[in-house]
Amino acid sequence: MTHEPKLEPRRRAAVKSGTPPPGCYLSGDTGMWVFVLGDLVIFGVYFIVFMVLRAGDPRSFLSSQRHLDLTMGALNTLVLLTSSWLVALAVQSVRTGEIRRATGLVYGAGGCGLLFLLIKAEEWHTMIGHGFTLTHNDFFMFYYMLTGAHLLHVLIGILVLALFRGEIRDPRLRRMSVVEATATYWHMVDLLWVVIFALLYVMR
Amino acid sequence: MRSIARARVTQVWIFLSSITVGSWMLGATHEGSGIAPNAAVTAGILALAAIKVRCIIHYFMEVRTAPEWLRVFTDYWLQVLMSAILLIYLY
Repeated sequence: MTHEPKLEPRRRAAVKSGTPPPGCYLSGDTGMWVFVLGDLVIFGVYFIVFMVLRAGDPRSFLSSQRHLDLTMGALNTLVLLTSSWLVALAVQSVRTGEIRRATGLVYGAGGCGLLFLLIKAEEWHTMIGHGFTLTHNDFFMFYYMLTGAHLLHVLIGILVLALFRGEIRDPRLRRMSVVEATATYWHMVDLLWVVIFALLYVMR
Repeated sequence: MRSIARARVTQVWIFLSSITVGSWMLGATHEGSGIAPNAAVTAGILALAAIKVRCIIHYFMEVRTAPEWLRVFTDYWLQVLMSAILLIYLY
């Protein structure tokens, strides 16, 4: 990711309007997209392996699933969707030069990330308290593996949002591609949770 | 504030949140109906998840206006993943 003293024409158009211009426009940079697409493929494999094991014993998986707190899962989905929305608005605000607003929005998104961690910690605490640990059965092994791997992504995501904040601090050094790339990572964290929520909490 | 309310991503966020509440209610409605698998509910849940994921990719990640290779890759990823999940569930 290099310094951009001169913006390429399409990025300049995005900066001017606040939204991507019609036609071809890569938000962020290719390096971040390669990472994100690789992560999507890896998580996709996890999801399919989960389904294969689930298909072998659907009733056991369903009876284990009933011990999860659907309300907590849905609440965490709303929290991450809200954080993604705030980040999307922050990117648009940076493009139009509204840095104060963008800063507030990124802090809001980071706050949502922390709230997600708190809700998840409470959920894990309750589950472990009821004896549903990693070794309880295959369902809970996947529950901790998938939510744990995702939790790690949330933690990294909060650091990435701090990078977003740092990037917009100094207008002379601001790189729009870095701002967009950090936002892309955070949206991926949101997207993965949507699938995890459907598979672990809601599916019947 | 007015610009935030007018922003397309705000409309998308409201839509996504509504779908989430919908799937929450769908799951909660069937909580008391025993532990029997329910293909119709599962298909509905997966369809709602696919719509949510595509909205996040297209509007929040701005893939809607991205180069074709990225649009094609993300669309295929979603289609292959959701089809595989549904097929494994059904068979």
